[in-house]
Amino acid sequence: MKHLLKKTAVAVLALGLSATAATAEKIRIALAETPSDELAAFFVALERAKANGLDYEWTAFSDEELAIQAVLSGQMDIGFGTPYAAMQRSKAPIRILFQLSKLKFFPVTTKTYSKLEDLNGEPILLHSRGGGTDSIANVIESKLGMEFGERSYVPGSSNRVAALLGGRADATIIDLSNKNKLMRSEAGSNFNVLEMFDVEASDEALFGNLDWIQNNADDVQIFINALVSTYTDMHDDPTIIRRETNPDGPIGQLPEEILAELDGFYSDAVEAGLYSPDGGGRVAAKADMEWYSAAGQLDGSPDELNIEDFWYLAPLDAAMK
Amino acid sequence: MTNAEPTAVPGAPFGAPGTKRPLPSRALVLKIVSALILFGAWEIAGRVPVSLAFPTFLESMGALFRMAVDGTLWTAYAETLQPLAVGVAISAVLGIAIGLWVGLSDFFDWLFSPIFIVMQAAPLAALIPLLVLAYGIGLTSKVLVVCIMAMPVIVLNTAGAVRNTPESMKEMGKAFLASDLSIILKIIIPAASPVIFAGLRLGISAGFIGAILAELKITPTGVGDIITYSRSIADYPSMYAAIFSIILLAVLFLNLLEKTEAVLFKGNQRGYVSD
Repeated sequence: MKHLLKKTAVAVLALGLSATAATAEKIRIALAETPSDELAAFFVALERAKANGLDYEWTAFSDEELAIQAVLSGQMDIGFGTPYAAMQRSKAPIRILFQLSKLKFFPVTTKTYSKLEDLNGEPILLHSRGGGTDSIANVIESKLGMEFGERSYVPGSSNRVAALLGGRADATIIDLSNKNKLMRSEAGSNFNVLEMFDVEASDEALFGNLDWIQNNADDVQIFINALVSTYTDMHDDPTIIRRETNPDGPIGQLPEEILAELDGFYSDAVEAGLYSPDGGGRVAAKADMEWYSAAGQLDGSPDELNIEDFWYLAPLDAAMK
Repeated sequence: MTNAEPTAVPGAPFGAPGTKRPLPSRALVLKIVSALILFGAWEIAGRVPVSLAFPTFLESMGALFRMAVDGTLWTAYAETLQPLAVGVAISAVLGIAIGLWVGLSDFFDWLFSPIFIVMQAAPLAALIPLLVLAYGIGLTSKVLVVCIMAMPVIVLNTAGAVRNTPESMKEMGKAFLASDLSIILKIIIPAASPVIFAGLRLGISAGFIGAILAELKITPTGVGDIITYSRSIADYPSMYAAIFSIILLAVLFLNLLEKTEAVLFKGNQRGYVSD
């Protein structure tokens, strides 16, 4: 009996090892959401990287925190998100490689309000506590010396637009594409987009485990090169995203209506500065530190924080040469 | 199960209550030992660590203590207990009433049983958007989630128990010219009570799951908010402390329910796993 148990244990262990060995070749990418129009540029970059020999597989998680946790526990190699709090608090050896998008969000209100200061003491609808829009609200408060009233949370910009249209909220903060959809619709005349300061901080960034990044430097370099080239080309001509989208890939399989809007989405996004063509780098790192300290996700003064503790810039520097 | 007894017969006095359970001290020792093993394993898993996102037991308890002292935990529970208490109360009262009805009448069985079987099998998390569409993001939706989780098992268990009341007991009642109401109150309900309470226990545990599910999936408030917020700022000890606290509350509540059963229907206890 003991013998049998031992044999089984060895067999299970061997199976587990061979399974990890088999998958070690592929880069495992943890997406923070299911593939949508917003990820089209990322998938174009993946196609380019694949053409240069990168082998990858991706898994979509239902939210950013799960993607971060999967990278923390080593089940995924590279993830999507802004894991600043995780890097600082859990001392996780995780580094950001590339800024995928900036925190471009827009305060939208009913006609009752015309500037941010009018929202002093007024209730506001945000994504989630501790999330990006919550941090925007925190920074608005500290920059303008005001305070929002009760904050309620409804995940998803489109759901917050629905709440706005249904009269269940008077003020919210939503993303670029939902803002454009709302303001270009007939109902748009009932709402105001309030003027806000520019935000350079990251909304989504690509990050990975430092050991893994250093051990797979070649693959990482191919990936970052592809991202930089895609983002640069996109800035010159946003329609390349639609043209280069693989019709058999996850984005190409989306409904025709969504694909038809890709050109409009990326033209708007490039115009609004949602993406930095150079992957952010030191500028983004600095902006992130200031932003996430102000938003309460990072402890300590932003001047004392060390960029190298949060970003691994070597691949991006090499790609920009 | 050395103290197994035949199916409870209402009104029939059994031996002294003290002989029914294992010695309390032994039960207590077993409970403490199993808790120690569990928490020890948690502590070790946290220290290894199995994941950087998994805190040790002591860190989590530290976070729990901190939240209890600064009041975060109590404000969160004041929020979470609203849908939970309302939902569980509705499910228990309405569930037992409907269950009795379904068990007593073939017509209502035909009418209601399928609804509850569908409710029990439905993938609730996937249906939450529909509930939000119909009832908004407020308390109503959350109470409904709790009810959908808790009610089916209460109704179906009650109905099954009522249907399985020994026929001979009911006939005896009729032979003694008891009214229908007396037969229900004095024969059927006491005979069905062990299974009704089993259903209540399962239903209420499901209700706890529903309350947290609603807070995670509809709008983060109360304990669900502590869980999502701590996770988004990578304060994993607080996240696990919140999860631990809700499990603890559920266990305590189920124990209370069991004590209530022991007081209400003496003679039915047969030593449950959770005691």
